[in-house]
Amino acid sequence: MTTEWTPDHGASAERTRLAWRRTVLSAAAVGLLAVRPAFAPHAGASAVLVAAAAMAAWAALTALAYGRARGLAGHPPRPARRTITAYASITIGLAVLGGLVVLM
Amino acid sequence: MPPAPDSGSFVTLAADNRRVFGALRQWFDPEKTESVGQTPDYRFSLANERTFLAWIRTGLALIAGGLACAQFLPPLPIEHLREGIAIALLVLGGVVALRAVDHWARTERAMRMGTDLPASRFPAVLAIVVALGALLLVIAVLMRAAR
Repeated sequence: MTTEWTPDHGASAERTRLAWRRTVLSAAAVGLLAVRPAFAPHAGASAVLVAAAAMAAWAALTALAYGRARGLAGHPPRPARRTITAYASITIGLAVLGGLVVLM
Repeated sequence: MPPAPDSGSFVTLAADNRRVFGALRQWFDPEKTESVGQTPDYRFSLANERTFLAWIRTGLALIAGGLACAQFLPPLPIEHLREGIAIALLVLGGVVALRAVDHWARTERAMRMGTDLPASRFPAVLAIVVALGALLLVIAVLMRAAR
């Protein structure tokens, strides 16, 4: 791409990277809450399965954020494209998993 | 076969379909569909991305709140009220995430086309919903204290 590089005086790439990090931390809180029932005494197989799915979702969210941090390091930063949609989809998946946790 | 004269509804249906699938395609690949317009200043795109992330965090906080309600609240006097509150928060979180990606895609498109950014009533609606929920809980707590 032959886009002209405008100096990033507003540190927007760094602020965006930190915003991704904050979001991963929020997702970690959700992941831990979804996993908690699996550690209750006499937890059923379904609780363990939901916990495993929640951990996988959390790992995917973390991986997406790290990939995006690499994309942000370029001059100019690469556009986010599908990372954004994937992130929102997995978040909705976490909400569904949370519903399963509540209904179990 | 040429379309029947009264196929107006089919035409609208097709247009509707195109619009829906266009919106979906925009979510998944905004760059490819938007050969329209021109690439905006990357700093604007990053600001849009941070706004998306702030909304996602809002959604994640609602989801975490729902899970915490289900796990840490004692059973409430009304049957299944605890589960109801939890599910409501989870649904709200999912809706916030869905709307976040839609708003991000529409903003990205508006920036490419150089048009006005999309206006939205969603923040006001969410604020009112959260305020009403808080009000209900205040009433519940007061009723409990008065008993």
